[in-house]
Formats: sequence, structure tokens, C-alpha cells
Amino acid sequence: MTSPEKTSILVIDDEIQIRRLLSNTLVEAGYTALVAATGTLGLKEAAYRHPDAIILDLGLPDLSGMEVLKQLREWSKTPVLILSVHGEEDRKVEALDAGAEDYLTKPFGESELLARIRVLLRRPKPADEAATARYGNIEVDSLHRTVSLKGVQVKLTGKEYSLLRLFIQHRGKVLTHRQILSEIWGADAKLQTHYLHVYVRRLREKLEEDPDEPVYFRTESGIGYRFVG
Amino acid sequence: MHPPVHTFELTERKTSQVREYVEVFVVVCAVTVAALYVAPTSHLPFGIVYLIAVVTLSMRVGLGPVIFAGLFSALMWDLFVIPPVGSLAITSFEDVMMLGTYVIVALVTGRSNARVRQQERTERIREQRASALLQLARALAEAKTFEEAITIALRQSDQLFKGRSALLLVSAEGQLRPHGGAVELYHDEERAAGEWAWKQGVKAGRFTPHLPRVTGHYLPLLRARSVVGVLAIYLPAGAVANLPALQDLLDGLAAQVAMQIEREQLRVITEREKLLAESEKLHRTLLDSVSHELRTPLAVLSAATAKLGAPKEANRVELALEISTATNRLNRLVANLLNLNRLESGTLKPRMDWCNLRDLINDALRNTAEVLKDHPVTVTIPPGMLLMQADPALLEQAITNLLHNAAFHTPGGTPVRIEGGIRRGPEPAIYISISDEGPGLAAELKDALFVKFQRGRQALPGGLGLGLSIVRGFVTAQGGEVVAGDNPGGGAVFSIYLPYHTPETVPEE
Repeated sequence: MTSPEKTSILVIDDEIQIRRLLSNTLVEAGYTALVAATGTLGLKEAAYRHPDAIILDLGLPDLSGMEVLKQLREWSKTPVLILSVHGEEDRKVEALDAGAEDYLTKPFGESELLARIRVLLRRPKPADEAATARYGNIEVDSLHRTVSLKGVQVKLTGKEYSLLRLFIQHRGKVLTHRQILSEIWGADAKLQTHYLHVYVRRLREKLEEDPDEPVYFRTESGIGYRFVG
Repeated sequence: MHPPVHTFELTERKTSQVREYVEVFVVVCAVTVAALYVAPTSHLPFGIVYLIAVVTLSMRVGLGPVIFAGLFSALMWDLFVIPPVGSLAITSFEDVMMLGTYVIVALVTGRSNARVRQQERTERIREQRASALLQLARALAEAKTFEEAITIALRQSDQLFKGRSALLLVSAEGQLRPHGGAVELYHDEERAAGEWAWKQGVKAGRFTPHLPRVTGHYLPLLRARSVVGVLAIYLPAGAVANLPALQDLLDGLAAQVAMQIEREQLRVITEREKLLAESEKLHRTLLDSVSHELRTPLAVLSAATAKLGAPKEANRVELALEISTATNRLNRLVANLLNLNRLESGTLKPRMDWCNLRDLINDALRNTAEVLKDHPVTVTIPPGMLLMQADPALLEQAITNLLHNAAFHTPGGTPVRIEGGIRRGPEPAIYISISDEGPGLAAELKDALFVKFQRGRQALPGGLGLGLSIVRGFVTAQGGEVVAGDNPGGGAVFSIYLPYHTPETVPEE
């Protein structure tokens, strides 16, 4: 049984080996693992056991992963991590735009998986709302809306600052082009991805050591960007 | 659209009979008038003039008008030339003889000339028909497709027989189906006549004893063993049946069409067999190489895991590395096969979007970090950001494959250079080139570089020979091209070119 202080994670995957491997990894990392072999069972499990996060395979035999995600999102905000294979960028973007928190491409390493889970389970801490916060060498003062790199103040335009705030809010998590564009430029700008590339480049030039090999503002090819701080 | 079809018509000169009678009448009258005015006294030589006129006329006019010419000349000669002028009475025996000879000569010459002319006419028609068929054969030989050939044949048939022609072909299911529409064939009786011609192999419909009440004339198209189709000809309702008269022409045309159909059937069969053989060969190659490529890493995996499971102490780190290398290889193999499948199934639809060239290169470098670890890599692109239109996933895969090749086919320690930029000119392009300092490209391999399952003769073991074919497939799908060449300092260069579009300027705040 789930003990109240333990965090439980539901794995919905039709492959028994993947279920076994994932639940082993999760248990070893100190989580409680719940498993479901089909989408229908997964939805039931999610409704009865209230997991803290869900790992969902996009290719399920009964309901498609997309369908499970949509049904789940009708009544639950439990963060979902999508498992997908290479070359399915369209499906990943679709799932992310439909409310999945993040994705992981198979095959993946254990550390990658656990890092994603940690981000998924992160509750907004008061620190995020504090006047100043530090992400690597970047320091953000939300009260005065100033940003500094290694203690030196960096001038950001209004849009650049909003973009940085959005990244920080979702740090560690992928944001699709669509999500960023509609948030910063409004719903009309959804297809103007080059705006986004230009602004991310400006942030990289101002805040990265080498804008050509970025550490903080990472590109997720064909999907979006991820801020790692 | 069908190409213009050169048809021509059989011409039959039909001079009207009335005109010939008028001609005869005018000529004989003219001779008579001349006789009266020129030499009213010498009637005998004028008999010869009449004779010459009749013989000349017999070469120009039909048998009826010739006989009319003879009799009419005789009458005129008797009436106006032979004394007593103005009377039919003949007084001298010589004149009787002359008149008799004259009528006989006129009749005989007329008859024989008419026969010669009839023969000429038959000859001319035969020649016209032969040349019609010859021209048809030539047009059919020049036709590039079966459809074109059929169109030519049917239009020629329309012209020759002054009606409309249609074709019925045997479908794959063994049914007789109209090839191209013919309204008549919507009627059951018409179709029945067509079926009869097909099943019995004899002519049916109009002008035949079989189902003669329908409007169409149906000709079976016979080849060595079977009836390959039916040619249908529809003449206007009131048309006089000149069709039976043109029977040999019709048969010739039907033979030509039948030959076309048979040729098409043979072509389809050969094509299918060739395709089958090709796909079988490909299938075998694929299966052979895939199973080989799968076995090697699988053998490594099973050996390494057996060692890990054994009670004896094993070097776990080393084994883990072996397992990781084997799984990477399996992963790459599966990815390549899936990519090949996407290319071949025709479902590959590039999703073009703005991408940052440097980001794509970084991703590809991350994918190949393991194999490139012994090679110093330099990246040279213009300062600032280069935005380009591409499908990021496809381009990343293409660059990854090229980098993988550069690492795999060159000795450790040799540098790999990545260069990118804009090639200005009338058709600006973004280029990404990857050069190495390895053995370079063997001359005999250059043509086959981008062909799947082709590997260099000296290539190291491992790999399916799919990498470059996928690079080309992915780049072409995005409207670009990939070229291979020699690195001036030794080694190979592969360059990807994609059309360059200048992005709109981003509005300033």
C-alpha cells in the first residue's frame, strides 16, 4: 500500500520488460511504483490511486497514449511524462500541447529518467516567488526586474525578460514552440517560430558563456526549448 | 490530353453521271456544228472525227455515257452530215457500212475503256486502303503509350468508316468492359452483341447474322489463342452499309488493334515480372544483411550478459561498455531501417520550419559523440545565427549519418571538419559540408555512393550501406541535394545544399 509520505508514480506501458525495468528503477530511487498494461487500466489506476506522476507510453495497444492523455486531462492535473520513440516529433509536440508535461525518447538512460521525474514532481516552492533567485550563473531579481550574470547586470528588453521568466517558471521542462509563442507573442504568432529563435539567440548571447554551445537554453530539435538552470 | 492524331480519309471520286452525259452531248454537238460549217460536203472524213470524239470520250466517261456517245454521234452524223442532210435515210451502201463499223467500234472501245477504268478504280481503292493501314501501323508504332495507340486507332476507324468506334477489353477479372465510354454500350442488347463477338470469336451485330438488330457492328479482336477484345463500330442510323464493302480494311484495322492490345498485355506481364524479381532481390539482400547486422551485436549482448550473470568476478565496467556499444549499434540499425521504410513507403512529409543551423549541428554532434571521440572536430559557421528552412529531425539525421561515416571510415586521430554558410548567387543555398582526412572516395564507388546496400569494397565490416541513401532521401525530400567530392588535402567531402530563404525581420519592441 502507498504510505502517505511516499511519492507514487504510475507507469502505463504494454511491454512487461519496460514496466519491470521502470518500476525497479523507480523503487530503487525511493518512489512507489504502480503499473498498468493498458490505457484503460491506466486510467482506472490513476483515478483510484491518485499517483503523483504518470509515465505514459504513446504507443499502447488499446487506447492510444494520446487518447489516455486527453481523457486524463478532463479530470486530473497529474503531471505526465510521455515515452516515445525517435522520429515521432509530431506526436510528441501534439502530446505536449495536449497537456503532457515532458517527454523522453526511447531508449533512455536511468539518470535522464530520474531527472525528468524530479522536475515533474517539483512543487512551486516559495523560493520561486522570492525577490531574487539564482540559476547557475544567472541571477534574477523579480522585484526590480533585473538580471545579472556572475554579478554583472545584463540589460534585457521587455520581451527578453518575459521569455526568461517563462523559461524559469518551467525550468527543466520542455516548452513547445507553440506554448512559448502564444505565451509571449500572443495566439496569433503561433507559426512565427523564427521570432522565437531570434529571441532565444539574444538570451544566449547575453547569458551564455558560448552562445553556439548553450548550457542553459537548450534546443529540443523540432519540438521547442528547455531551460536548464 | 491526347496528341493530335493524323487521320486521313479514303477518297472516292464520284463524278456525277449527269455531268458525263452533258459532256458527251456538248462534245458531239460541237463536232456536228463544226462538220456543218467547215466542210458540209465531205461527210466520210467526219465519220472519223466522230469516231475520234467517241474514243476520246470513252477514256473520260462511264460505260453508259460512252454508249450514249456512240448512238448519239451516229444519229447526228446520219441526220446532219450524211446526205440527204436533215433526214435519217441513208442512200449509199458505203455509208451503211461506215455507220455499222462506227457503232461497233464505239461500243467495243467504250466497253474496254470502261473496264480499264473500273480496274484502275479498284486498284486505287486497294492502294488507298493499304496506305491507310500502313499509316495506321506507323502511327501506332510511334505511339508512346497504349492509350495513345488506342486513341489513334479509334480515331482512324471513325474517319475511315464515317462512324464512331469503341473498344471493349477483357478486364483483370475476366469480364468484357468498355474501354473509354461509348453510350451504346449501356444498352443490354448492345453489350450482348459485344459479348457474343467476344465469346464466339465471330463478328456480331449490324451487318451480320448474329443479333443484327443492334446499332453496333462488333468485331472480335483475335490473336493466336484468344479474343483479346472487341472493336465496336457505330454508323449513323441511316447510313448505307458500305461497311461490308470495306471488310478487308476493317479486318486489317482490327488486326492492328489486336496486336496493340497483345503487346500491352505482354508489356504489363514483363513489367510485373521485372518488378517482382527486383523486389525479391532487394528483399533477399535486406534480409541477409539485416540478419548479419543484428547477429553481431546480439552475440555481444548475450555473451556480455552471460558473463555478468556468472558467479565468477567479471570486469563489470568493461562489459557494460561492450553492452552499450552493441545496443548503440542495434539502435542505429533500427533507426536506419525505419528511416529507409519512411523513404520507400512515400509517407515522408518534411515538416519545414525555421531552425538554427548551429543547433542542428550540435544535436548531430551529440548523437555521434561516442564514435567521434578520437577525432578532433571543428565547426566553422558564420558568426551570429543562421536561420534556415528545414525539417529539423530529417536534417539532423542526415548530418548525423555523414558525421558517423566520417568517423567510421577514417583512422582515429584524423580531424573532421564541419562547415556551414550561405552560398550566394541566383539560387542562394545553405550549405553544410563535412570533410575528413581519411582514405577518400574510391573512384569506382562514386556513382553508387548514394545507392542503398552499396558499400565500399575496402569498407570496414559493420553497417548496411543505408546511411548515405538515407542522407540523400532526406535531403531531397527537403528540396535540397547532397554531393560527394574529394577533399583537396586528401579525404572526402560531403556537402548538403538546401534552398535558402531570408527570414522576415522580427519586429523590434
